[in-house]
Amino acid sequence: MDELLKTSFLGKTYPSPLVLASGVLGLTADSMKRVLDAGAGAVTTKSFGLEPRKGHPCPAILPFDGGLLNAVGLSNPGVDEMVKEIRKLREQAGLSSGIFASVFGRTHEEFGEVTRRAVESKPDLIEVNVSCPNVSSEFGTPFGSHERDVEHITRIVKKAAGNIPISIKLTIHCPSLIRMAKICEENGADAITAINTVGPGMLIDTGVMKPILAHKVGGVSGPAIFPLALKAVYEICGNTRLPVIGTGGVRTADEALQMIMAGARMVGIGSGVYYGDIELFTHINRELRSWMIEKNIKNLKEVRGIAYE
Amino acid sequence: MSDQMKTYPVLNIKSHSPVMKSFYFSQPESDIQPGRFFNVWLPGVDEKPFSVSDVFQGIMEITVKAVGPFSRKMMDVRRGDLVGLRGPFGKGFSHHQHALLVGGGMGIVPLRYLTRLLRQQGFYFEVLLGGRCSQDIPFQTDFSEWAPTTFVTDDGSLGYKGAVTDYMQDKIRESHLSFVYSSGPEAMLVKVMDLAAQVGLDYEISFERYMKCGIGICGQCVVDGSGIRLCKEGPVLTRQEAEKVSEWGMPHRDATGRRNTR
Repeated sequence: MDELLKTSFLGKTYPSPLVLASGVLGLTADSMKRVLDAGAGAVTTKSFGLEPRKGHPCPAILPFDGGLLNAVGLSNPGVDEMVKEIRKLREQAGLSSGIFASVFGRTHEEFGEVTRRAVESKPDLIEVNVSCPNVSSEFGTPFGSHERDVEHITRIVKKAAGNIPISIKLTIHCPSLIRMAKICEENGADAITAINTVGPGMLIDTGVMKPILAHKVGGVSGPAIFPLALKAVYEICGNTRLPVIGTGGVRTADEALQMIMAGARMVGIGSGVYYGDIELFTHINRELRSWMIEKNIKNLKEVRGIAYE
Repeated sequence: MSDQMKTYPVLNIKSHSPVMKSFYFSQPESDIQPGRFFNVWLPGVDEKPFSVSDVFQGIMEITVKAVGPFSRKMMDVRRGDLVGLRGPFGKGFSHHQHALLVGGGMGIVPLRYLTRLLRQQGFYFEVLLGGRCSQDIPFQTDFSEWAPTTFVTDDGSLGYKGAVTDYMQDKIRESHLSFVYSSGPEAMLVKVMDLAAQVGLDYEISFERYMKCGIGICGQCVVDGSGIRLCKEGPVLTRQEAEKVSEWGMPHRDATGRRNTR
């Protein structure tokens, strides 16, 4: 394992602080294996629920000048299928790679149920997606916007997860992100993933004069949200003791470093794959390593949260 | 390549049969190799990937057969209607001398554009095309004019009666053909790969899977055994790439990501 980049997170050590964020290339074992081979320390599955879901019609993922707009709508093959894929990935990737299972539920109880099923596949982390912005017509506003919902879901999932740690994936669309993070901490969360996509936003085609996404609106990700994500991570790390997976618009080693300096333990990369392809993990790892050598830094924890002091 | 959505007016439409039409657009991008595809958006309906059937003198042609809800809606599109196009996406065919082109059904579409380019290079090639019936095989006159072409149909309504792969065996034993291009139903492609491997021929084959993004991030079109994204490293795969894949001939993953075993 790379001495410079090895990162401990919730009792396990990963070969890199980089994590594939949920929603990108996380549907099958072979797909995630490729991302691990490219240098990700861990991969997060696409969010899955109890039953298979088709999601929204296309266009569902749309690049624009500042990033990506998506309304995939939580399409997923259901927990049965994902448990098989996670097991297959574990067989292929071994124990040293991180496998994070992202779960969602339509109700509080369903979060618990999906988690109970997901732990059969022994992921390293249950990431709790309480903040998908693309299903509000169906599920109501995301649970992640309401403190009571987050409190309750955190408790339910923590109990259902047994000895597997849980991370709550937060949205910046809540009355107070700091309070929300504290609620997660007080109710048993082991980590926070921050942030989910922002908005939702919209793009209109001026030819047909209609919104382009089939769902009309969708979550914004990519470079446009990097400063928002960074500030969220900075606030959460300054106000809780939970380790944070800092996710949102990271495309370069410099941005990954900024996340770490804001306090992130691991750095999520999702839309970055669109900009730098799968090799982005390899490139960022290489650049982080060169930077550390140049600055004579032996471990990233030397600079973690340094922006705060 | 343009990943962002832009709408283009349909300049012209040609009917091949009651259920198959070609649509003509002013060429959106310059780097359209045969085998690459565009995501075609019908506002208010859906967006689906289609390979390009021709690019000629600044006009791009997309050919669609009505097989599902989206393609049936495509049949209602009129000249002047605005249709969204994003692309070209993926990797197309490269150019090889002395090739045999094996196409089945709508898989014939990308081969027709490939034929134009191989001809421009002055390459020798032969064509073997199959379908259920004559109506299933578009561009019959073009292919026949451009290369030695053999037609095979299930019902014998055009050319020989039978399956294309029955006739491929004889063709590839002829020593002047040293490469195979193919596109068509997967059951046919599996046979094509098998036959080509038997005589040690290299090939490039265009495959199909359900796609959502076209830009290599959603993971929907990743094929087992390889981690290959068909929208990015495909849809055209080399023999070396195709042989890594373990799921050829299996039911495809649907919009949920589950293998559709129905």
